[in-house]
Amino acid sequence: MSEYIMSERGSFGSVLVKIGPGETFVSESGAMFRASDNVDIDVTTRNRSGGGGLMSGVRRMMAGESFFLSTYRTRDGAPGEVALAPTLAGEVALIECRGGGRWLCAGGSFLGASQGLDLDTQFQGLRGALSGESLSFLAASGVGELLVSAFGSVQAIEVDGKLTVDTGHVVAFQDTLEYRLDRAGGSWIQSFLASEGVVLNFSGRGTVYVQSHNPDEFGKRLGGMMPPR
Amino acid sequence: MEYEIQNGPSYSLLEVALEPGQTIVAEAGAMSWMSDAVRMETSTRGGVLSGLGRSVLGGESFFQNTYSAEGGRGTIGLAPGQPGDIIPHLITGDELMLEKNAYLASAEGVRVNSDFQGLRGLFNEGLFILRASGHGILFFNGYGDVSEIEVDGSYIVDNGHAVAWEPSLSYTLTRGKSVRSFLFADQLLLRFEGRGKVWVQSRNPRSLASWVFPFRPSARN
Repeated sequence: MSEYIMSERGSFGSVLVKIGPGETFVSESGAMFRASDNVDIDVTTRNRSGGGGLMSGVRRMMAGESFFLSTYRTRDGAPGEVALAPTLAGEVALIECRGGGRWLCAGGSFLGASQGLDLDTQFQGLRGALSGESLSFLAASGVGELLVSAFGSVQAIEVDGKLTVDTGHVVAFQDTLEYRLDRAGGSWIQSFLASEGVVLNFSGRGTVYVQSHNPDEFGKRLGGMMPPR
Repeated sequence: MEYEIQNGPSYSLLEVALEPGQTIVAEAGAMSWMSDAVRMETSTRGGVLSGLGRSVLGGESFFQNTYSAEGGRGTIGLAPGQPGDIIPHLITGDELMLEKNAYLASAEGVRVNSDFQGLRGLFNEGLFILRASGHGILFFNGYGDVSEIEVDGSYIVDNGHAVAWEPSLSYTLTRGKSVRSFLFADQLLLRFEGRGKVWVQSRNPRSLASWVFPFRPSARN
């Protein structure tokens, strides 16, 4: 099993993954910022059906989502290391996946996954029943460790009953929970007046990881100060 | 010269206490505050050509400013351009290589010059890095956490994450090893080889800029 050394210094979380001989580890492609030189880095898209892996990755790239994955393994039979960090400031969390259901991880929050986890990049994301919103999520199943990043601080909420979370604050959740994409307030006009966007309504039992800040809000705030494209 | 690095690691600020006659040199723009006894002098240290080298070629400020305490003890606060760690490093006749935005401040006895990197010079999309030499303390900074790595053999660092390294290490530009990595053209990797230390920052300002870029409003036609 890989070992994880989480940086716990201040506001800029990162994680050092120690890879044993014969082990593999997968991360979002841009997340690696240093590695021992005995680590092979294979950039690809993961596609269980085999064919079309490259093209489906290109399509995702065109759709503005970078779901290219890097696979790391050591090539000399010795242990190696890979350090991962997200782009934005914030914390990094490790989720122990114990099987018995999938974890759905927001596209922008996925950092890495151990080899016991199966990442379904064919997963279509979440779709609203009426309004047609679509959100990019990654589905991880199996037993292993999932590394996620948060913009700001991260908090695990144990749901037993109901919980509503703005989609911009969702990091990851267990699909033992029932989830539904909806407009906050239930109608367009109400959510417009409340200046709230799309939410996920959870019900049942399970864990939801939320982040203190919404990356999209931050992006819009900064983007609005830049010249138009 | 006494100093204290405050509010670290995420929002480090360098506070320096200067006895009368003592001096600290800093990147122009780094001064956050200073007490009454501190006098600022702007000069192109090392002559105009050296200043030009720093500015145009290294992407670093044209001027390093010199701050001295006169007629009493003074204090000065120096802040990097982005939040993150500040690393103090003593130079004792040896040298340290710095990514062009990593320089914060140094004692008077430390010289900072641009260094042409030739064909290897795709380093952080600039052709030049900074070379610090001489005697005295040097302060450099990074975006996010800065970790110190002892290299013995070789080590891989993303091009946008290396902030400083000892000249006993050589580096080459490389890419991921898979053929498929042509799709991944925006990540260039540096392979450091030899024995020595390299300092790595946990965030990359250029990545943040690329992340913000798609949020620009679309132009109306």
